[in-house]
Amino acid sequence: MDGPLSSLRIIDSTTVLAMPTAMYLMGDMGAEVVKVETHTRGRGGGGGVTYADNVPPNNNHWNRDGSFHALHRSKLGITLNYKIPETIEAFKDLVRVSDVLAENNRPGTMERLGLGYEELRKIKPDLIYFSFSGFGYSGPWKNYQGIGRMFELTSGVSQFTGYPDEGPRRVGSAWFDPPNGWMAVFAILAAIHHRNQTGKGQWIDHSMYQMGASTVGDALLDYIANGRNGKLMGNRHTSKAPHGAYKCSGDDNWIAISVESDNQWDALKNVMGNPEWANEDKFGDVIVRWHNQDDLDSHIKQWTRNFEHRDLMNTLIEAGVPSGAVLNPKEVLSDPNMKETSIFEKLEFPAETGMGTRVFLGRPWSMSETPSYIRSPGPDLGGDNEYVLGDLLGRTGTEIAQLYELGGIGKEPEPMDKPGTIQDFTREIDQGTLRSYDTEYKKLLGIEP
Amino acid sequence: MSSNALGGFRILELSTGVAGPFAGKLFADYGADVVKLEPLSGDEARNLPPFFHDHPHPEKSLSFLYLNTNKRSITLDIRTAQGQQMLTSLAGKFDAIIESYPPGYLDNLGVGYSDLSKVNPNLVMTSITPYGQKGPYRDYPGDDIIYEAMGGIMYISGAHDRAPLKHGHPQSLYIAGITAAYATSSALFARISIAKGQHIDLSMRDVSAAHHHATPTRYSFVGTVERRAPKMEAGSPKGGAHFEGIVPVQDGYVGATFQRGIQRGSYSDYVKLLNREDLDDPDFPPIEFPARIPSDKDELLLSALKDWSKFDYFNKAASESWVAAVVQTSQDLVEGEHLNERGFFSEMDHPVVGKIKIPGEIFRLTGSPWALRRATPLIGQHNKEIYCGEFGICEEELVQLRRQAVI
Repeated sequence: MDGPLSSLRIIDSTTVLAMPTAMYLMGDMGAEVVKVETHTRGRGGGGGVTYADNVPPNNNHWNRDGSFHALHRSKLGITLNYKIPETIEAFKDLVRVSDVLAENNRPGTMERLGLGYEELRKIKPDLIYFSFSGFGYSGPWKNYQGIGRMFELTSGVSQFTGYPDEGPRRVGSAWFDPPNGWMAVFAILAAIHHRNQTGKGQWIDHSMYQMGASTVGDALLDYIANGRNGKLMGNRHTSKAPHGAYKCSGDDNWIAISVESDNQWDALKNVMGNPEWANEDKFGDVIVRWHNQDDLDSHIKQWTRNFEHRDLMNTLIEAGVPSGAVLNPKEVLSDPNMKETSIFEKLEFPAETGMGTRVFLGRPWSMSETPSYIRSPGPDLGGDNEYVLGDLLGRTGTEIAQLYELGGIGKEPEPMDKPGTIQDFTREIDQGTLRSYDTEYKKLLGIEP
Repeated sequence: MSSNALGGFRILELSTGVAGPFAGKLFADYGADVVKLEPLSGDEARNLPPFFHDHPHPEKSLSFLYLNTNKRSITLDIRTAQGQQMLTSLAGKFDAIIESYPPGYLDNLGVGYSDLSKVNPNLVMTSITPYGQKGPYRDYPGDDIIYEAMGGIMYISGAHDRAPLKHGHPQSLYIAGITAAYATSSALFARISIAKGQHIDLSMRDVSAAHHHATPTRYSFVGTVERRAPKMEAGSPKGGAHFEGIVPVQDGYVGATFQRGIQRGSYSDYVKLLNREDLDDPDFPPIEFPARIPSDKDELLLSALKDWSKFDYFNKAASESWVAAVVQTSQDLVEGEHLNERGFFSEMDHPVVGKIKIPGEIFRLTGSPWALRRATPLIGQHNKEIYCGEFGICEEELVQLRRQAVI
């Protein structure tokens, strides 16, 4: 059986992080996603270059970056150098046989190439044309450049995030990139459903900023109705207590505990062995517990530090106290429950790449009838030029050869990219940006041949 | 035919909290007929703060008001035999159900996916749970802080010498709602080719784990384990690889970076941006900022930034193509020109709170635009309309069901 989106064809003219995420998800779900690149610019992978086992590849290094494959798996890849007019024609032919064009170029770029919505709808009236930008195509900030990791700040999330004694902080990832990609999938599908009902295509104007703001709608209403702004919450909650991360035994291990009801509090007291302090009046109900959190937290962390974080989670949950270990990236990957869900997926690379089998992010859901999975590694640069231009668009072998000759398409970067540098983990550990460098990782993940 | 994108779909929402309702809201806002099925006392999420004028009241939860626009509400006690029978017959008339009960709960009542799909083979059912339907944690409780902890985002957020830090706002729940919405929509699309519905098993902890493709990729390629990095020092770039933390200015905070377009800008241009040419330094690399800048330069720039207001800095930097951000308050977002000019806000006329400005359109479908068609429903507001008008239950029967506490 095939994936839920297997009858769709999508042109992916997107870069960076958010939209490539949307596109690989649709590819995992079975859509035929054609990633359009140019071979005349470097091949950005959306992160630092990560070569298998930190060893420089012995061939085609531009096709060997792990982060590229994480973001561009399940896609076909073609190269079009728009300076050559024949490639614009090829792009338009591809539009004629596709359902969706997704792009996140700077506003105006596509129009300059003659590939704007107004132009393309003439040749494909029911086209769904999805434009993704930082601030959208209208409003005073429309020309500002937007990147995912900045939208936490501007969209209103950072007013809540940070240690209260210090100031706002970003979280450790480009938070609004993936969710914007997920919302993009929803938006594109909404337009597809509409097309299926009415026969009409449309242009979609998606702004990262606005999508980010939609995730703090309750806070915006708090200002509108009550004149209240957000404040830095640390790990605290507006009504639950105790609620936070508490240090456990070992190096940098923590547990998150979230207690709301008196029953949960009684359960926590029991697990702690009903210490005297816990029965003081100042912790007697949720309201006083919430008001005396500094005190409460200092007692709890004296207790948690005696236990291993994952053992303690199981003990607490067994007793009826909601909690979760603060897992590091390695612990997340090896967590027993993750074996039962679709969130991580192994992918075997072709032998000639020397990349072996690796684990990638899968999907946080599964469907009972239409399987989604990583359909292929990310495409080699220009790897599907022949299939797309020939089989799909009917260009003859001679025409394709001419396009290579003209520099309209290619399979190697021009000028050749410099290979990425090998990472110095020892230095990163010294500087504190890495926790550890593990030599047994392939055994732990079960990916050793 | 409908000018609303999702106008053909009927969705039944049996879900509380934030994630399921946000998924339902996305469908409702873009045109689907979304019916929220609440217990007789109302969805518990009606108790979620903040409240309108800080007045706790089931029709005044601002979180609920936001998450349930464009929906209709019916009440039903699905724990009663009659309630189960009615839910089964409702399921025949809906395209999808979005639910967030614990795994097995609906099955035990005889209204799980396997029961309802017999009545309606075209039904898509999306189950949102903390850890999914299978696996050793299936019965474990979940919560925003637990998803951020167990999903790995918390470990890499915050200061390396302090506790791991979560978002101060329940972001993990909102992004689970987005995920549920696109997955449900995909399964609705799949009905065209497979001519039947299916069950979607969604794990909220896994949604949090899906926030970051880089950590699993790096571990599986090279075996490195990231941690909370000193470069994230807020308000100070000390020890940092880039000057791109959040830095204090006169009236708040900005996101200041040395990135300009897709490249790193030059020190010389950056001090020009700050109107502080006097800080220029002929010994400093003229083209690009180095990856690490000396701490005396950090200090100089930090102190120069203190003379700026947050919006002056943001507007000037962004107009000159520097990557920049501003830590906006809710007030900034609500009153700022940009979102207002883009039509992000609408006015909702609600029977209890009256007219209120409310965030609305998320993305713009230019051919089938977002519209506020209905105010957030009161508890059971559409019982008569739906049960009598659409399911042929007569009005006397409705009164009896009420007296038996079924609706």
